[in-house]
Amino acid sequence: MAEFKVNEPVMGRRAFVGGSLAAGSLAFLAACGQKGDGAGSGDAPATDGGKTLNYYINNPVCIDPYNVQEDQGTQVEFQLFDTLMQFDFENNELKGLAAESFDATEDATEFTFHLVEGAKFHNGDPVTAQDFVRGWTRLVSPKSAIATEYGPSEISYHLSVVEGYDALANGETDEFSGLSCPDDNTLVVKLSSAYADFAYIASHPALSPVPACAEEDAKNFYLAPVGNGPFMMKPDTKWEDGQYIDIVKFDDYYGEPAKIDGVHFIIQKDIETAYKEFQAGNLDVCDVPVAQIEAARKERGEAEYTMEDGKHMLLGAEPSAYYLVVNNNDEQFKNPDLRKGVSLAINREAICETLFKGTRTPADGIIPPGIDGYTEGAWEFSAYDVDKANEYLDKVAPMSGDSRGINVVLTYNQDGGHKEIMESVIGDLAKVGITAESETPEWSAVLEQYTAGTFQFGRLGWIADYPIMDNFLYPLFHSDSIGGDNKSGYSNAEVDKLIDEARATTDDDARIAKMKEADAIIASDCPVIPLMFYTHTLVGSDRIKNLYVDPQKKADLATCELA
Amino acid sequence: MGKYIIKRVLQFIPVFLGVTLILFALQNIVPGDPIKLIGGDKALPPATELQLRVRYHLVQVDESGNAVLDENGDPVPETMWNRYVYYMTGLLHGDLGQSYQRKLPVTDIFLQKYPYTVKLAACAIVLEAIMGIGAGIISAVKRYSFWDILVTLTTSVLVAVPAFWLGMLLQLFFGVLIKDWTGGAFSLPISGAGGPSSQYQDWVHYILPAITLASVSTAYAARIMRSQLLDVMNQDYIRTAKAKGLSNRAIIWKHALKNALIPVVTYIGVDFGAMLSGAILTETVFNWPGIGSEIYRAISMRDWPLVMGGVTLIVVVVMVINLLVDVSYAFLDPRIRLGGPSDKA
Repeated sequence: MAEFKVNEPVMGRRAFVGGSLAAGSLAFLAACGQKGDGAGSGDAPATDGGKTLNYYINNPVCIDPYNVQEDQGTQVEFQLFDTLMQFDFENNELKGLAAESFDATEDATEFTFHLVEGAKFHNGDPVTAQDFVRGWTRLVSPKSAIATEYGPSEISYHLSVVEGYDALANGETDEFSGLSCPDDNTLVVKLSSAYADFAYIASHPALSPVPACAEEDAKNFYLAPVGNGPFMMKPDTKWEDGQYIDIVKFDDYYGEPAKIDGVHFIIQKDIETAYKEFQAGNLDVCDVPVAQIEAARKERGEAEYTMEDGKHMLLGAEPSAYYLVVNNNDEQFKNPDLRKGVSLAINREAICETLFKGTRTPADGIIPPGIDGYTEGAWEFSAYDVDKANEYLDKVAPMSGDSRGINVVLTYNQDGGHKEIMESVIGDLAKVGITAESETPEWSAVLEQYTAGTFQFGRLGWIADYPIMDNFLYPLFHSDSIGGDNKSGYSNAEVDKLIDEARATTDDDARIAKMKEADAIIASDCPVIPLMFYTHTLVGSDRIKNLYVDPQKKADLATCELA
Repeated sequence: MGKYIIKRVLQFIPVFLGVTLILFALQNIVPGDPIKLIGGDKALPPATELQLRVRYHLVQVDESGNAVLDENGDPVPETMWNRYVYYMTGLLHGDLGQSYQRKLPVTDIFLQKYPYTVKLAACAIVLEAIMGIGAGIISAVKRYSFWDILVTLTTSVLVAVPAFWLGMLLQLFFGVLIKDWTGGAFSLPISGAGGPSSQYQDWVHYILPAITLASVSTAYAARIMRSQLLDVMNQDYIRTAKAKGLSNRAIIWKHALKNALIPVVTYIGVDFGAMLSGAILTETVFNWPGIGSEIYRAISMRDWPLVMGGVTLIVVVVMVINLLVDVSYAFLDPRIRLGGPSDKA
């Protein structure tokens, strides 16, 4: 600044500044276009290879099968790995994937899987039964390389029915004693207790095979897993935290090869931003914010699970339930009449229509439709019937004026849109003379209260790991699950017995009949109050000719077709 | 000067120890069990839960590394002091621990994300300095002119508009509408920080977030600059300079500006420190992979190692920036003698 010349010609400098500004903005405009040839062709995002799908996901927890749990990480992992079996929701049957077939012993304690021959991992290694043993062992053992590097898996419970689970999970041994491979293409699984639905567990994405490099180089495998699925990580790329994950078609895939060249998963924090990207044509598949649902339904054309020309908005029911968890050991709520009265008083239809624009459906039980054994209207007390509610509540405390003098506390977390739902519930309860007060600490504190049993009632969601009745009834209502997912503390010896029996029944129909029996008893006790079943709301761009997204929100990207 | 800097750097140590200790104490006061939160709606198997607690030094362990159990068979929580010692020992070895939720080492997370925060903050601060100081000078020099009124009005609006809303407007205009109008020939990226699959050059991704992040502070900087410069222009020495027959230009650039800049530099410096601590709203709206939203999420999920790591990083950065700002005073105003006798008095 000291060298500033006072007598510098003024105009010259102005002209210079003005000129460079103009030149600069011109250059800016010119350069701001797209990369390469700069030909921004409107709705087709410029990515290498014309047939790359741009798919929205939220930040995944994990894409390595050893800890894959929520739907975002599963979406990616599911494309990279094939498990033994897969449930075909369209035909309602369990089909072989990496396994051709399986046999189960009559007492449902031993399962033998026969693997497809000639399958390869993305790095060229053959897929053998040993690779499943490796994958399942590193899921459970706290001493595996991956667990040492990133901490023990949080989902080892998937394999808790397999023999030797406890010893392995507690770190007493390195071997999974329940698993054995008589030859490269045969996997034998011994269970510690009967579990006829084990093949469904074996279809969970976490139970994928992993090649030897998964343990030799756990640190890198975690961010760029090598699987046996129809897609592989784009060479020399990894999961870019908070940004994107690129996968490409795997040419040596043993099954039907993918019809598109690859998928560019764009990781977005905020759904509103993601939806703007979709509107700008930079995303092919995106979730829809609630405020945009009605417009999207009109513009994009509705379908349930398959996107096609003219039908690019999916509204598929999911096998998951949103319910009020009730503390059955609470002084007031241990009275079943109060639980039943409360359940009958809630207008579920109104919540689904006004708050979710019909994209969630009122629950008529804890088992959602789409699960084998779902019965319409299974839970009598999940209907909306104010008169009947009053009948039951009169047994608890008679109405005097417009109140029964029943005061209860509803504990929940306000974020995630729960506040509006709970306020609607509180409003419904006020109409039958119950004063419900909200207590809304943070989620962490809420969970602590639910676990410690120091609450009256609250809210939870249950997303099934496997699409079977067992995955609802056992974790939520079996007395073995108290201290775990059975947060209502419900315990009924008869229900326990029926579930245990069902687990030992290999015949599908007989097993489901037993489960239904158990469900009926639970329904009559009304230990929790089911509110809604979830529906996913996905939109697709016009480029998509065909895309199937199953009820668990796993997209079958290998069969996806692009224009 | 050298002595002053050393003294200031040494002052970092007690400040740093104080801040981290307070945070550690907070961990014990704030409700919510971080390990239970990992499971969320689904409960963790008890064995896994215990293994995680042992891994993260949350419970006491015996010599063989097994958790110490009390008479009820429950694990005994580790004392706050011991955990603090673990943390500091790790820190001295360059290890900030592992994120409870993300599983990744905290240092890896910050090494990957912090450059994005720094680059965005740098762009925003350059924008803020040029636009803020420039607009402030123009409106002070041409007081009550059209330009002055324009600057005053624009800054009033910018101060009142929430940054995230401005960001969303910019996204809609430059990302969606302009793209439609020009048939795709011109548009700016809506979100993200670029990368090989982006259709834009990486630097283009900085434009909208930087404008959004800088908007409010630019307005403040312009207003501070304007009032300071007007203040200085009324000083006696400026009248003297005028009396000497110096041109307006020389008076402003040589005499007035330097003196008027000090509060603006302070403001911009503090603001830069704040930007380097991450920008939660801007990062969320533009899906920017910076540390602000990462730390915000870590707080709500009680992911203490990530929170501690973030705070450690921010404390150091803010202290360094403050030091740089203080040192810059000496250059702007020779009367300010850092660490001189007048300071000690």
